[in-house]
Amino acid sequence: MLELKHVKKSYDNVTILEDMNLKIQDGEIVSILGPSGCGKTTLLNLVLGLTPADSGQIIFDGKDITEVPMEERGFNIVFQDYALFPNLNVYKNITYGLKNRPGISSEKEVEEFIDLLGLREHLDKKIEQLSGGQKQRVALARTMVMKPKILLLDEPLSALDGVIKESIKEKIKEIARDFHLTTIIVTHDPEEALTLSDKVLIVNKGRISQYGAPREIIMTPQNNFVKEFILNQLEIKKNNIFALFHQNMARSMQAV
Amino acid sequence: MVRKEREIKTIYALVLAIFVVFLAVPILRLLLESFVGEAGAGIENYVEVLTGRGFLTALGNSVAVSVCSALLATVLAFFLAYSIQYTNLNKRFKRVIWTLAVLPMLLPTITYGFAIIYSFGRQGLLTRLFGRQLFDIYGFHGLLFGYVIYTLPISFLLILNTMGFIDKKFMVVSRVMGDSPVRTFWQTIIRPLLGTLAASFVQCFFLCFTDYGIPASVGGEYEVVATVLYNEMLGSIPNFNRGAVVAMMMLIPSVLSIALLKYLERYNVRYTRISRIELKKNPARDAVCAAGSSEIIISVLAIFAVIFVVPLVQEWPYQVSFTLEHVRAVLEDSSLSGVYKNSIFVAVCTALAGLLITYGAALATARSGLNGKLKGVIDAIALITNTIPGMVIGIAFMFIFSGTPLQNTFALIILCNVVHFFSTPYLMMRNSLSKLNSSWETTASLMGDTWIKTIVRIVTPNMTSTILEVFSYYFVNAMVTVSAVIFIAGARTMVITTKIKELQYYTKFNEVFVLSLFILGTNLIVKGILGYMIKRKEKKER
Repeated sequence: MLELKHVKKSYDNVTILEDMNLKIQDGEIVSILGPSGCGKTTLLNLVLGLTPADSGQIIFDGKDITEVPMEERGFNIVFQDYALFPNLNVYKNITYGLKNRPGISSEKEVEEFIDLLGLREHLDKKIEQLSGGQKQRVALARTMVMKPKILLLDEPLSALDGVIKESIKEKIKEIARDFHLTTIIVTHDPEEALTLSDKVLIVNKGRISQYGAPREIIMTPQNNFVKEFILNQLEIKKNNIFALFHQNMARSMQAV
Repeated sequence: MVRKEREIKTIYALVLAIFVVFLAVPILRLLLESFVGEAGAGIENYVEVLTGRGFLTALGNSVAVSVCSALLATVLAFFLAYSIQYTNLNKRFKRVIWTLAVLPMLLPTITYGFAIIYSFGRQGLLTRLFGRQLFDIYGFHGLLFGYVIYTLPISFLLILNTMGFIDKKFMVVSRVMGDSPVRTFWQTIIRPLLGTLAASFVQCFFLCFTDYGIPASVGGEYEVVATVLYNEMLGSIPNFNRGAVVAMMMLIPSVLSIALLKYLERYNVRYTRISRIELKKNPARDAVCAAGSSEIIISVLAIFAVIFVVPLVQEWPYQVSFTLEHVRAVLEDSSLSGVYKNSIFVAVCTALAGLLITYGAALATARSGLNGKLKGVIDAIALITNTIPGMVIGIAFMFIFSGTPLQNTFALIILCNVVHFFSTPYLMMRNSLSKLNSSWETTASLMGDTWIKTIVRIVTPNMTSTILEVFSYYFVNAMVTVSAVIFIAGARTMVITTKIKELQYYTKFNEVFVLSLFILGTNLIVKGILGYMIKRKEKKER
């Protein structure tokens, strides 16, 4: 279990996060949702260990890891732009960490990740030959080889288009379920957050606006921000799509 | 702290230490020397120099000839760049113009002067072709000619580069909006280039003002600041304190011009994207550009023709049959071939040391979490090295390292070159490094890499092109520079350019030209090989 207690962060006297308190259970998928500039990426970097907290504690499996450096926390991240190494091919990217930690994944496990993410036919390709969705899958495989205790994903879907978005969503769910892997995702898209995760953490202006299961958020929004910015957006989307299908249905009814 | 970045802090400290010892301390010492006189400290030297005969005239001469050269070079460079960017001329023709336009950069400026003497002098190649001497080469005209040749390539590259970043689609917009051709030309080419044209003028002015090689050969009685400075330091009646004053006086316009350059940067127009368009068919424009640019290039080449002619004939201008005798003589003269080896050694070491220092400095500024103020220090160093003329660095080194074990060593020349030419390669490194994905180090360290390992395995392989370019920049500049090394090269550490100055004294011009050919040849080979490697690398990536 990951727990944040009274975590604070500010840069140059501008408060980014104020008194963060939350618990994430093992194997859960949690989305951090909020408008740009709300502090969600900072929160992700705090968990990762890239940014130090000003005060408060981060506790993982009962141990205080606030002062533990990033490399020793055993978490891992897939960045929004994937940060793949262009001088290495797909296979060498995926197995990059094995050179430093031989045996962290067995050969068989590596092969499994490759098949799970559908990368077998791309192994010899260069990074720039890949599409966005393929790059995302390579980055996921490269991270999974390191057997992270928590998987962090920074806007994993924002650079992808329609159908590919849905298939990557399924892959992320599959990985979290199969490996019982705690996964934390940063996103600004309510639809993504609510359809992908077990729990959603809505952040606004450096504070937690609401933290709960997607259903709770839809049924009992706790404040105006959740109502107006999160639910309202979904409502408009829903209406648009309904209108689209309704017209179609109306036309097909007339035709009959 | 979560990430300690101990390595980068060490590198930062080392880079800083180098610039403290080899830049800050020498320049401060120079400043101090300028105030020391026979009667103790004071502004006595300044008064003496400023009221003394000659200095103000030299200053006026320097300014006049530098302004004229800078204007002329910028106009000619614009014409060349326009011919390449805005005409439908044959690609191969453009390529030839491009290559030949930058060729003079591969030769030391001191050679330009001798080339002018042998082209336009009484017995000169061109004088004989035209049947009369076209102008008086010693003094204003000679200097103007030399400076223009010297600065044309630099101005050309600057303007060509900016032109490449102008969105040509605006020409279409301007035309469909009903603009007259003159207005289109003004609005879509000159306006966006104004900042660069001004920058080119300032840069050329700075180069002319601080160059020593050209006035050393064709200055004649026409004194400029650089020759006054040389005479105060190494002339028949040296006065180091007065020399220090002249050096400080040379520094002032340099600092002003670089400050101006910095200010002009904000006038650079930035287009969000650059689109390729088909240029309007205009045979008249193309013909004028082809003729004009050929004319410019041929003029430059004509002057350099003597470098190939003079050393390869029996005895210019009396016996003009071909011979390799002079080349052989130079090769057999161990003092001359030794100087050539010295030059290569210095250039290679300068390139390697420069590579390490610029890479380290750029890593600290572009890829570390160091405090912004600390990063600002390195950027400031880059700016300062850009403002300090080679002669000033050379003299400052002479003051501070005379009598130390570093005196008359190659290490001193190498460090001097590294510091002197730091600015451009550092900026090249910093720009490329900051374009690389910012998450690589984090990602790699999560994969278990140490920082050094990431630099070796990921960052460096993605920097190959820039590393080769920086190497080539340092190498070529170390081969051709004369202004700083002339003050610190000893008898044992003589390089080609300082040897040329010495050979001039004994009027051994065959040797001067043979050695110049060696420099040109070496630079061509090195640039050729590195250019080929860069191209192959880029092709592979595509």
